[in-house]
Amino acid sequence: MALAPNMPKAWRAETKPHKFCPGCGHGLILKALGECIDELGIQDRIVFGCDIGCSLLSWDFFNADAIQTHHGRTTPVLTGVKRARPDRICIAYMGDGGGYAIGSQHLVNAASRNEKVTVLLANNCNYGMTGGQMAPTTLPGMKTETSPYGRDVEATGNPTQGPEMVSAITPEGAYVARGTTANLRQLKKMIKKALETQLNGTGFSFVEALSACPTNWRTNAKDTWNFVEKEMTQYFKVGELKVPGEKEGK
Amino acid sequence: MVSTAYKYTQKECDRATFTLFTGLCKGCGLCMEKCPVKCLEWSNDLGVYGTPTIIPKDVESCTGCGICQLVCPDCAIVIEKIKK
Repeated sequence: MALAPNMPKAWRAETKPHKFCPGCGHGLILKALGECIDELGIQDRIVFGCDIGCSLLSWDFFNADAIQTHHGRTTPVLTGVKRARPDRICIAYMGDGGGYAIGSQHLVNAASRNEKVTVLLANNCNYGMTGGQMAPTTLPGMKTETSPYGRDVEATGNPTQGPEMVSAITPEGAYVARGTTANLRQLKKMIKKALETQLNGTGFSFVEALSACPTNWRTNAKDTWNFVEKEMTQYFKVGELKVPGEKEGK
Repeated sequence: MVSTAYKYTQKECDRATFTLFTGLCKGCGLCMEKCPVKCLEWSNDLGVYGTPTIIPKDVESCTGCGICQLVCPDCAIVIEKIKK
């Protein structure tokens, strides 16, 4: 009997094994996204946009139309796609560098206009592709290539809390949540709700996923899980911040 | 459906059939840490990056919960529960 791996149907099997590092959280987030696409049956309507950084390695991940742009511009490009073709389901996939640092204006403006696109952001506390430099989401005291003595919050400020920022500026009808790759079932539910928000056309949907970068954190599997589950969640609280039809602050 | 065939190894445990696709496994070890009964160990079979892959230590301990399959970023593990 020829055995097939249990991949989401939306994945493009010819490109697997994918290009991400061993243990990378992108694989888990995209697995959750793939399963959501399968369950909603929207694969033929997907426009997948990936940003610069490690997230661009997902350009051939799905059997769907994909577009790659630079520096957070995935959000406005897909906003344009959505406005021209409202029947398409637009998913912007980016990392914390693209979404919060160089491309934060795109995220902020798309959120405040309540554009009907879904933004899925992987937060791994550093710039993975360029070698692990300090990112806006680097935790206080965390050592990276460009903060060898640990991040000094006096000089560089506190880590960006994206979902809190987005939920503060989005009007009613938007969906904002933060999930983690350590709890994939919850993350999958969040991504599904985000896609449903777009399908219903009520507003902007944004999911941040706490992700792992074992290559640049220089951690083994045990420390990787420990960092994602214990240290990251101390600062980045997991949960839904805004749900359409519910009062804020739940 | 998946048209690409990957190399795999299989181990028949008491409660589940453990299939590992060595053509997909990168040897990250995330599954070993997440296993609630710690029944996985490094195997002699090499994965796609030339790193060791994983295999259940013995046939008794694996409960077939499927958490390793869930947390594998490469979809390299398939757990099939054996119905009794």
